[in-house]
Amino acid sequence: MLDTPATDAKWSTATDIAAAFASGQLSAVSVVEATLARIRERDPLLNSFTAVVEQRALARAKALDEARARGQQAGPLAGVPFAVKNLFDIAGLPTIAGSKINREAPSARRDATLVERLEAAGAILIGALNMGEYAYDFTGENIHDGASRNPHDLDRMSGGSSGGSASAVAGGLVPLALGSDTNGSIRVPSSLCGIFGLKPTYGRLSRARTFPFVASLDHVGPLARTAHDLALAYDAMQGFDPDDPVCADRATESVAQLLERGTDGLRIAVASGYFKCRTAESCYALDRVASALGANRDIEIPQADRARAAAFVITATEGASLHLDRLRVRAQDYDPDVRDRLIAGAMAPAALVVKAQKFRRWYREQVLKLFTEVDAILAPATPCTAPLIGQKTFMLGDAELPVRANLGIYTQPISFIGLPVVAVPVPLAPLPIAVQVIAAPWREDVALRIAHTLEAKGVVAAMRPPL
Amino acid sequence: MKRKVTRNRPARTASKPARRVPAKASAAAKSRRKHRAPAMVEQPDVIDSLVSASAQALRLPIERSWRGGIKFNLQLILRIATLVDEFPLPDDTEPGPVFHA
Repeated sequence: MLDTPATDAKWSTATDIAAAFASGQLSAVSVVEATLARIRERDPLLNSFTAVVEQRALARAKALDEARARGQQAGPLAGVPFAVKNLFDIAGLPTIAGSKINREAPSARRDATLVERLEAAGAILIGALNMGEYAYDFTGENIHDGASRNPHDLDRMSGGSSGGSASAVAGGLVPLALGSDTNGSIRVPSSLCGIFGLKPTYGRLSRARTFPFVASLDHVGPLARTAHDLALAYDAMQGFDPDDPVCADRATESVAQLLERGTDGLRIAVASGYFKCRTAESCYALDRVASALGANRDIEIPQADRARAAAFVITATEGASLHLDRLRVRAQDYDPDVRDRLIAGAMAPAALVVKAQKFRRWYREQVLKLFTEVDAILAPATPCTAPLIGQKTFMLGDAELPVRANLGIYTQPISFIGLPVVAVPVPLAPLPIAVQVIAAPWREDVALRIAHTLEAKGVVAAMRPPL
Repeated sequence: MKRKVTRNRPARTASKPARRVPAKASAAAKSRRKHRAPAMVEQPDVIDSLVSASAQALRLPIERSWRGGIKFNLQLILRIATLVDEFPLPDDTEPGPVFHA
């Protein structure tokens, strides 16, 4: 049985809190005060927040309580505290994007579109979250702010680059956070911290007023402790936004009310070949999820290794182009790991980048054909559970590989062509690990239905950490 | 615990991916595959020269202590890019810089 806000304020879901607020069981001010108290108590351990907007949050909560007292109808996320990766604009704060350099930037004059939309649904912004510098990261480490820590083992990585987002949600500081995902930066930390993460279809959610990394690969999305919370937040954030040139002009397709439809009739396969699991934990997690869904068919995503390679090249070069001016004058102010990769990216021959973009179109066409045969594909989210903070290499099979570049080997070929994915956490001891549920473009509903069904069966769940 | 599945297709390993040659791959692309030059990425002096020349051309000041990391990463990019470079595509393939589903 789920804990309720009345019995367990530290582990309440967004759905629980919104219901308790709507029914008058909880005031928004009490929720915010409890959230701020938890952050003061636990964040010195987790290091997930880089800014807390206490006065703003309390003022917003007071306004919500007053509106409810006047009889105004509460929004679907009324009273729900949330926080955002610090590449989302928050009015009055510089958008630091995990960097030292951006701390000198002028404060944002307006919130990011997704912050505005969540608040329009009644949610309450609590603060900004730690992240890998300029989002070029899979570890959750940050040389300027320190690493955000994994709530299941404080010596281990939270994953990146949305490390603070995953750490804050898995650690019970907030039930909902926003992150960004260029090559896996929502899915990798969701896996390492054992929570649910949604990377929507490329162009589905507005990136307006977020600090970019690789424009042609950047996505934004929610992280939460249940699939229903993901759906609630996703529904509140959908819709065209002229401020993001990539945002698709599509009608809102609400998902939350579809979750109970289950998986009957859905054709679900397991990705083989390149996506073959390579550690006992990732194999066990994939096996458990596939068995619960009756997914007994394998399917090969063609040329996934080349897709990952092309994403790698495009990321390095497009990221380098974004930072070229800063690298000329402020290179010493970057994290050396990020700086060296960006400078190297600036030096890669352009002909290879165009080839990677051409391959992308070919690959997309091949993968889209697969979705005439299946509705969803399962694949590991990360090759292993959370490595130790500071760990530079890990063993995959017989190969010793760099951690930083290889935590995203399973996520990169998917975001490369913008497919929607839900990372679902399998609660293994001592550390969780997630599986990717991949759907056809614009079919977030399919991935979320599968995630919700798995959760109802007890196969996937956000484990409560021993904090 | 090993997952028991019915395999409709044989599993393939990442180290030996299946080659799918698009039907319209150009003769020039096939020829390039046959007559590829030795990989530049295996020649450290070439990487060193490339770093120096690129830094100058791009007006990127590089401190001596950074060179090792930059060379490592450039070599990595070029090695990984080989997987894309060697894949034959028709000449009329359009780049897909922005994904529209």
